[in-house]
Amino acid sequence: MNHRDEHDARRRVFLQRAGLGAAAIGTLPLQAFAAGHETLPFGNGERELVTYPGKRPLLRVTTRPPHLETPFSAFGEGVITPNNAFFVRYHLANIPKRIDAAAYRLRVGGHVKQSLSLSLAELKALAAPVEVVAVNQCSGNSRGFFEPRVFGAQLGNGSMGNARWAGVPLRAVLEKAGVLPGARQVAFNGLDTPVLPKTPDFIKALNIDLALSAEPIVAWSMNGADIPFLNGYPIKLIVPGYFGTYWVKHLSEIVVMDHGFDGFFMSTAYRVPDNACQCVPAGTAPTATRPITTLPVRSFITSVAGGARVPAGKPLQFKGIAFDGGSGIRKVEVSEDGQQWREAALGKDLGRFSFREWSFGMAAPRKGEFKLMVRATNMQGDIQPATASWNPGGYARNVVETTRLLAV
Amino acid sequence: MNILNLIAMRVLSAAALALGCGAVWAQAVQSVTLPLETARLKPSKLAGYQLALQKCGICHSADYISQQPPAMTAAQWTAEVRKMEHAYAAPLSDGDVTQIGEYLAVTYGGAKPTLGPVAAAPVPAAAPGVPAAAVDVQAVLKANACLGCHAVAQKIVGPAYHDVATRYKSDPQAQAKLEVSIRAGGSGKWGPVVMPPFANLSPQELKALAAFVLKQ
Repeated sequence: MNHRDEHDARRRVFLQRAGLGAAAIGTLPLQAFAAGHETLPFGNGERELVTYPGKRPLLRVTTRPPHLETPFSAFGEGVITPNNAFFVRYHLANIPKRIDAAAYRLRVGGHVKQSLSLSLAELKALAAPVEVVAVNQCSGNSRGFFEPRVFGAQLGNGSMGNARWAGVPLRAVLEKAGVLPGARQVAFNGLDTPVLPKTPDFIKALNIDLALSAEPIVAWSMNGADIPFLNGYPIKLIVPGYFGTYWVKHLSEIVVMDHGFDGFFMSTAYRVPDNACQCVPAGTAPTATRPITTLPVRSFITSVAGGARVPAGKPLQFKGIAFDGGSGIRKVEVSEDGQQWREAALGKDLGRFSFREWSFGMAAPRKGEFKLMVRATNMQGDIQPATASWNPGGYARNVVETTRLLAV
Repeated sequence: MNILNLIAMRVLSAAALALGCGAVWAQAVQSVTLPLETARLKPSKLAGYQLALQKCGICHSADYISQQPPAMTAAQWTAEVRKMEHAYAAPLSDGDVTQIGEYLAVTYGGAKPTLGPVAAAPVPAAAPGVPAAAVDVQAVLKANACLGCHAVAQKIVGPAYHDVATRYKSDPQAQAKLEVSIRAGGSGKWGPVVMPPFANLSPQELKALAAFVLKQ
């Protein structure tokens, strides 16, 4: 393979000269120096690559609140997404800018025997630490590919990441406070707040059964390091298998409720059509909705990007990832025509909530354009659909992805 | 070299070191400094442009708008602005919603203008020769949504007026500098957030506003 061509195609990056000498940089106010840009393959898809604190150059979705997407090439580097490559998404512009871990408190209250105000040391001492490798994916990942297009953050496929999270089980925190009979939901708030007092705060809620299950954790570690500031330092709620909207950053308050939480970000936003496909005919409004929950099964080729040139007449190896909401990946298949599917080899199993690596050896292609389609099936038997479904929020896309390549 | 990464620094508190505590993490102070905003709304003669500059920027940067799909209709854009009013409590009147929706649909969606390029004149400009003292400062603040981003005593999106007055206390050019800042907008003096230009204000209004801020 022509390394240069592959690189260019993978990144679709056009490096720009900064035009500033080092002396000039030292005297200017802080700028997010554009390290280049990428063009996502939909209208108005031009994105600057910008460097934020603790991050390598990421695609800028919006400046305020900070919203950054991972360049898709990062997923080709390995099955764990590095902390400095992990996407960033805030909803509200008043984000914390300085956090003193020594003074940090996690408050727990509501329908409990005793309210708590835990220091980080007290939180860590509540239970033996647990670890999980889990995918955090934005509900709106891939929204830019919806057709017809919908409003919202116009994301490519990079608003996801897979990391090893460590913390204490959420239920250890709840048990310490003592959940009272009749509890129905648990609400979670972080340090980010709205600019205007009447704008709804970003608060999410889980049903009590899920909150008391073994899975959610209050994490302080990501891939063996502190959670990056812009990903929720010092603690973040991890809800393996659930979309990222529930993974509250800078977690500061947990409230147990004897009723359903009805805040804006549960009752109005982040809702999907209340049916099996979470979809409606394109352009129509659903009659009933429910809060978005778990990740539908999904897979991508990560070793090569669409448009890349590959050598004709030689066998090829491809790699990729597959994941779902926690049943685990049963199989991944690859096809050139969408009719005949051949099974890929699954890589190491890092747990049912993790990206599962796969690899596929392909017979030598003839010269010319060809396509590769990849589809995953999870342990429940769910399989990715051949055609994209639609919903007005642009959520939960999981259509079979097609990558077009050119053999030369 | 990367300035921004240097700023994501960690400072170990003296107390933690004195205690010889092994849990370094629990004593760390972390901070971030965000980059300046660079996105700007596309200029337009439509009345909704000035409204969008003043109101949308209270809560989010302009890149939220420029990245939306290219062919959204006037009805779709207006519905989106209405969502900002109703769901997110943006300080918009129904009239503002219509005008901003029109500006966005024409400028970003290719729709045809229907309201016409009549610039909003929220406060009648003072006639030449009218002294700044005769300007109703509170009315100008309200009409231009200044108080969406500023308060007298505390920082909201922009700096508190009191802080501005304090910084310029011994600057003999304070009045002139502030008039320029209000008229031209800018960013970087108080943080990364952009203040939009208020070029529609009369010289008397600018003079009165700057004087008002410097008295706080």
